[in-house]
Amino acid sequence: MTAVVQATAPIVTGMVQSGFLVRLVRRPMGAIGLGMLVIAVVVAVLAPVLAPYDPDANVHVGIEDVYQTPSAAHLLGTDDGGNDVLSALIFGARVSLVVGFAASLMTILIGGTIGLVAGYRGGWLSTVLMRFTDFVLVIPDLALQIVIVAILGPSLLNIILVIGGLGWTSTARLVRSQTLSVRERMFVTRARAIGAGDLHIVWRHVLPQILPLMLATMVLAVSLAILAESSLAFIGLGDPTVISWGQMLNFAFSLGAVSAGAWWALLPPGFAIVWVVLGTTLLGTALEDVLNPRLKRHHLERDRSVRVAEPEGMGWLRVEPVRADAPLLRVRGLTVEFDSPAGPLRAVHDASFELRRGETLGLVGESACGKTTTVLGLLRLLPPGGRVTAGQVLFDGEDLMALPERDLRAVRGKRLAIVFQGAMNALNPVRRVGDQVAEVIRIHEPEVGARVADRRARVLLERVGIGGGRYADYPHQYSGGMRQRAMIAMALACRPDVIVADEPTTALDVMIQAQILELLAGLAREFGMATILVTHDLGVVAQVCDRVVVMYGGRVVEDAPTLRLFADPQHPYTRLLLASFPDLLHPERPLQSIPGSPPRLDAMPPGCPFAPRCPAAFDRCSTVKPPAYDLGDGRRAACLLVEPGHRAPEPIHA
Amino acid sequence: MSGRGSYLVAKVGWALLTLALVITFNFVLFRILPGDPARSVAHDPRVSPATVAALTARFGLDKPLFLNLEGGDPFDSQFVAYVGRLAAGDLGVSYNFRDRPVAEMLGIGLVNTLWLVVPAQVLAILIGVAAGLVAAWRRGTPLDAGALTFGLVLWAVPTFFMGIILLFLGSAWFDLPTAGKGTIGAEYASIWEELGDLVRHLFLPTLTFTLVLLGEYLLIMRSSVIEVFSEDYILTAKAKGLSTFRIIRDHALRNAMLPMVTLIAINLGFIVSGAIQIESVFSWPGLGELTVNAVRKRDYPVLQGAFLMLAIAVVLANLAAELLYGWLDPRVREA
Repeated sequence: MTAVVQATAPIVTGMVQSGFLVRLVRRPMGAIGLGMLVIAVVVAVLAPVLAPYDPDANVHVGIEDVYQTPSAAHLLGTDDGGNDVLSALIFGARVSLVVGFAASLMTILIGGTIGLVAGYRGGWLSTVLMRFTDFVLVIPDLALQIVIVAILGPSLLNIILVIGGLGWTSTARLVRSQTLSVRERMFVTRARAIGAGDLHIVWRHVLPQILPLMLATMVLAVSLAILAESSLAFIGLGDPTVISWGQMLNFAFSLGAVSAGAWWALLPPGFAIVWVVLGTTLLGTALEDVLNPRLKRHHLERDRSVRVAEPEGMGWLRVEPVRADAPLLRVRGLTVEFDSPAGPLRAVHDASFELRRGETLGLVGESACGKTTTVLGLLRLLPPGGRVTAGQVLFDGEDLMALPERDLRAVRGKRLAIVFQGAMNALNPVRRVGDQVAEVIRIHEPEVGARVADRRARVLLERVGIGGGRYADYPHQYSGGMRQRAMIAMALACRPDVIVADEPTTALDVMIQAQILELLAGLAREFGMATILVTHDLGVVAQVCDRVVVMYGGRVVEDAPTLRLFADPQHPYTRLLLASFPDLLHPERPLQSIPGSPPRLDAMPPGCPFAPRCPAAFDRCSTVKPPAYDLGDGRRAACLLVEPGHRAPEPIHA
Repeated sequence: MSGRGSYLVAKVGWALLTLALVITFNFVLFRILPGDPARSVAHDPRVSPATVAALTARFGLDKPLFLNLEGGDPFDSQFVAYVGRLAAGDLGVSYNFRDRPVAEMLGIGLVNTLWLVVPAQVLAILIGVAAGLVAAWRRGTPLDAGALTFGLVLWAVPTFFMGIILLFLGSAWFDLPTAGKGTIGAEYASIWEELGDLVRHLFLPTLTFTLVLLGEYLLIMRSSVIEVFSEDYILTAKAKGLSTFRIIRDHALRNAMLPMVTLIAINLGFIVSGAIQIESVFSWPGLGELTVNAVRKRDYPVLQGAFLMLAIAVVLANLAAELLYGWLDPRVREA
């Protein structure tokens, strides 16, 4: 999963993990595939009971018996030899399934062994085995199968051996990569450290881990083997002593069924193959999906944020006309929800704050408190499954939540730019970094032309400390710090009014963190940009921010000018947050960590979200959600302790 | 860039090594298996031992297999002679058509097969990429579900059966030709008329091939695009203010094509097997039909030559795909 999606993914761990089979059958693909396959197996097993005629007893010999149209006696008519098509079809299921399962078992044994050995042992043996696999992979399967079966003779055993003996390559590759990743994990290292033998480790620790995926591969291999058998049989290389569906088609096709118009001799065996292959493919795909669930949503899905004119609950702000000194950005009652199997989960509740021109705002709080989700919501850039359900984001008097997509695009990157956390994957790996910076200019200022855009991008990269020589490099040639700088250059490209930096320095080492933050603050000052800095580093906040907004449990719990917040925090959470951070002026003060962790989205406390961890909580805190109280001097806090009429809050660590 | 140069050298080197292995394998396969001309003639009681001996000498079968270790020229062996003949383009003569050189038959067959494979491959890639892209973009909608079902069903239909169905429908409803490359005994007034006849004959086999390849391309493209669409750099592109169209064109497509290129490379063997089946259904005079007829008539020189040519074609096409991948993805050019 990608960094941004991960950072904002609602944590839902309380859900009941149902059994493997239940999860498989709950998927439409799994249920349908399993059903189709079960029917085929039942037909194959009960063939002697189900078939109306004995396929070996060829009693009809007259020319009038050949290609009889379907009738009560022969539900699917007769074939080129006057035999009952339905009976041949039923017995054909046996051949197809036997070949399919036997060959795929072979596939798993050969491919699994080669993949396991190559993945576990590594070194030259792995190189040799994987080169051999590559070699077998390029030899055209059917051509080689034809050559070998033609020479060895078309017995059922030979057919199985040839299909299984050539079809193992993809299994070997898959098992190798799985083994590699299992080998790296702790328990293998630990088992080796206590002196367990290789065979023991593979058998007890590695194999159980990769077995489920091997099962899925095997199911898919069954369909490939059945297809291979049918094409060999169609070409005339089927075992002449048994009836298979491919062979039925071969005989009917080469012996005049088309010119006789005998569709009943052609279509049933063909659709029987489709049935089994489709069944196994569906089942195999569903198995893979259960074992290794893929991300179901993506960034280009239709934006389902509701265009709300009026915020649901506006907190402390009143609707005011735009004035000259009005804030550049006013967020009012922003509410964000995520889809989950358990229904919508609210990640941001009624968040409100303001940002003035040139001001730097710090957005702080522990992880999973809704900071990132809030800033992504500003530009309707929420990850898949998330949407703004209420609130306004007034940017220069215009509500970004109500703006049509086209107008919003003109704001994104041009007037309001975001630097994402974790720049590792935020740059396109197959395009040159400089080109990706210049792209912003080309999009928003097409009139300047490509050459000017290029030159400006070069200058920008130099400004963030990346020399011109690295302009044409690709992201993988950059270090983590350089990528983050490139992201900043990209955000600065059009000199936006607001730059949002979402933990721009996580995952970087401390020296580089400081450099990047200084760079960002310096450039913001120089360009006169307002900045929203999302961070949990209060030291940084104290240095560069004019205002601080503290978030907890998806709510704004305190909002104050930086100096006042540090001098006199009002919300118990803010106090604990400050106490948990080293204070350079009072190094003697012991550091305190806040016990517990922020609430999960699916288990929000009914009252104040912080109540369960709050040392100053009293009875009403667990039932009443405190609104944000205006405390004057540009301060507000959402805590019952500051409710007008409540007695003055007592110091919490007396 | 030196990285790019060494990538090229490594890939070309591996392709050459694979070719050498394929040639050796092909040689051994047809020596071990009861396929050489002298031995097959020797089973015929009407042929005198002297004739067998003469044939054995003529084909050089009295020589050692790989290396002459009994003194004299160490390279005076069957394998060296075989490679020498290959280099000269001599693949022997067909058993079935005594006077026809195998190389000539294969040359004609290859051209005909390419007529079939190239348009089908191009069409399938274009449609598969477009359909997979739209399905992924509209993920979870009925459109997506329809595309998914369509792709899965196409994938499950055996190639030859798809051919049979279309042959049935095409001949019955549209009166399209169902066999061969041209109308037998037809006199063409102009080159255009001849071309028109060829196109009419190509229609059903090409359609079959396109549909057969399409299913898998659609499925792979769809899942590849979904994967790419959920990457961080797509969000970055969105935050930059790019339109969905530009995001797809400038950021998603190239990344999403990477698994497709790998798939197409791996699938080349599958394409050969498709060609064999379709040519067999539509009596299309290409390499596939040549192979199937050679099996029926036990025409080993043709079978050996056809197999070699198919394997070489796959190795070369695979190399082309690897180079394309290197061009698309700067990351693999390094290291």
